[in-house]
Amino acid sequence: MVGSAGLAVIVAGTFAVLLVAMSDLRSSNNAQARSKDVSTATLELERVVNELDVSLRSFVVSGNRHFLADWQKARAALPPAVARLEQHVAAQPEEKSRAIRLAMMTHDYIHDYGVPLIAIYQLRHEAARSPVATKEGLFRIDAIHKQLGTLLAGENNLASARAASAKREATRAVGIGVAELVITAALLVLFSVFLAHGVVRPVRMVAAGASRVAAGDLSTRLPEQGSPELQELTEAFNAMALSLEQGQKALEAQNEQLRQSERLKTELVSIVSHELRTPLASILGYSSLLLKRAFGKDDTRRYLETIHTQGRRLASLVEEFLDVERVEAGRIELKEELVDLRPLLEEEAELISNEAPRHRVHVSVDADSLLIRGDGDRIAQVYSNLLTNAVKYSPDGGVIEVTGTVDGLVGRVQVRDEGVGIADEHQPRIFTKFFRGEARESGFAGTGLGLAVSREIVEAHGGRIGFRSVPGAGSAFWFELPLAPTEDAPVSTPR
Amino acid sequence: MRTATILICDDEPSLRELMRISLRQDYTFAEAADAAEAIELVDAVHPDVVLLDVMMPGGSGLTVLEHVRKNPALKDTRVVVISAFAADRDHLAAHDAGANSFLKKPFDPEELESLVEQLLGPRN
Repeated sequence: MVGSAGLAVIVAGTFAVLLVAMSDLRSSNNAQARSKDVSTATLELERVVNELDVSLRSFVVSGNRHFLADWQKARAALPPAVARLEQHVAAQPEEKSRAIRLAMMTHDYIHDYGVPLIAIYQLRHEAARSPVATKEGLFRIDAIHKQLGTLLAGENNLASARAASAKREATRAVGIGVAELVITAALLVLFSVFLAHGVVRPVRMVAAGASRVAAGDLSTRLPEQGSPELQELTEAFNAMALSLEQGQKALEAQNEQLRQSERLKTELVSIVSHELRTPLASILGYSSLLLKRAFGKDDTRRYLETIHTQGRRLASLVEEFLDVERVEAGRIELKEELVDLRPLLEEEAELISNEAPRHRVHVSVDADSLLIRGDGDRIAQVYSNLLTNAVKYSPDGGVIEVTGTVDGLVGRVQVRDEGVGIADEHQPRIFTKFFRGEARESGFAGTGLGLAVSREIVEAHGGRIGFRSVPGAGSAFWFELPLAPTEDAPVSTPR
Repeated sequence: MRTATILICDDEPSLRELMRISLRQDYTFAEAADAAEAIELVDAVHPDVVLLDVMMPGGSGLTVLEHVRKNPALKDTRVVVISAFAADRDHLAAHDAGANSFLKKPFDPEELESLVEQLLGPRN
């Protein structure tokens, strides 16, 4: 915009300078023409003067009347010749004064010499032909001729000076014209470069960017520079690309979520089927043998007991899966009873000790009782889950340290093992349902539900659950529950 | 003729016993409850057949299988992978690791019995 206006101004200036040069040239031509007119008028006057001189002298010498007629004709031609000369030299003061002097000299020649000479001739022929009279005429004519010569020479000088000036002007005009043309051409080239740079290139850049976006590179951004219109264009382009990119990222994130939930589902099916198949293998295997073979009374009873135990395990697994469903739907129903955690901690520890001969479970409670208000069975479920995990994830056995503490208005239970611990990268996700880290690969059975359900139960009681773990050195899981107000009397023992 | 030795590897005691009583022949039994114990026992007793659970504490049963296949002294040892992971990929993983056979839990005791007899061949 600014560029094209600038170019217009420059081209207009160029032509203005050219016009001035041409006008100079024209005035120079006018001067030359005037000079020619002055010369013509001077020569005409000279011719008339010669005519006067010749006709006068011829008449005086010959007395022929014919020459007198010529004289009269020349006399009549004199004033217009003088007037024409005066008109042409009017602009030149020096020439003008010469012309005026010429007018006076020719006038004097006619009136002071010519007319009296003719009168003398008619009185006395000889007197008019006397040397004195002749000499006077020649003297006057000579003076006039000199004057005319001076005028003509001056005019010639002037004319040649003007011609030279005109030539210079013409040369200058041609030079200026050529220079202007060169400058204009250069400006046009510059302008096209500017166009290419300022318009064509950015447009190409936008087109290339659009192609990249179309090809799928949504991170394409264009530099926001150049003229305001171009900036507007590139800004709009960048906004479009950004919006496309964000949209695509959102879609990808959704896809990733879907893929993840798909993986989780596959994992869930695998876990559930594994967990159900293990007790089923005992139930079906033993019952099949009992049906087909004969065993002693004791063996039969033992196998039936195994079937029963595994059946119950199956039932509790189903219950566990259902728990998640209930907990997720917020349908977990808690009993409202006064529970002393102290005996609960000891009883569950004893149960697990029987099933884990390689582990030593040690329980210490720093208060006579840990009374809370809530669902004793659910709290036992949480604690049992922590104990089971402690046993499961310390396959080489070791000490499991259970502590019950009163901390102000809160009762705290901690289960610490000396097991494998939890890898740092898995720690943030271990309360996520079905999340098992590397447990499956490491051969640890389980559903990945225990901790997820435990957290729901603890939080439903208004408590908190957490852990510390050092990979390779063991984990300490704890939960805290609000203690029952002191006026609540201990009345019941859970389970 | 010596009796064949069967190593039963499973972390579930009731399943170990089930496998043992399913096999009525006069075999010598050894039992392992986890992968480390199983590896120790295969080297110690050079079993003729290993009945191998996959999901065991302390490591996958497949590591035991790999151990067996790496040891030239155990080249005649037959391995039956018995897993509650019964998807095709679990079956394939066992096959690739060098298992002779694959049974999924729950298994039929009589099928296990005939499979072991078949693996032991005319020796018995």
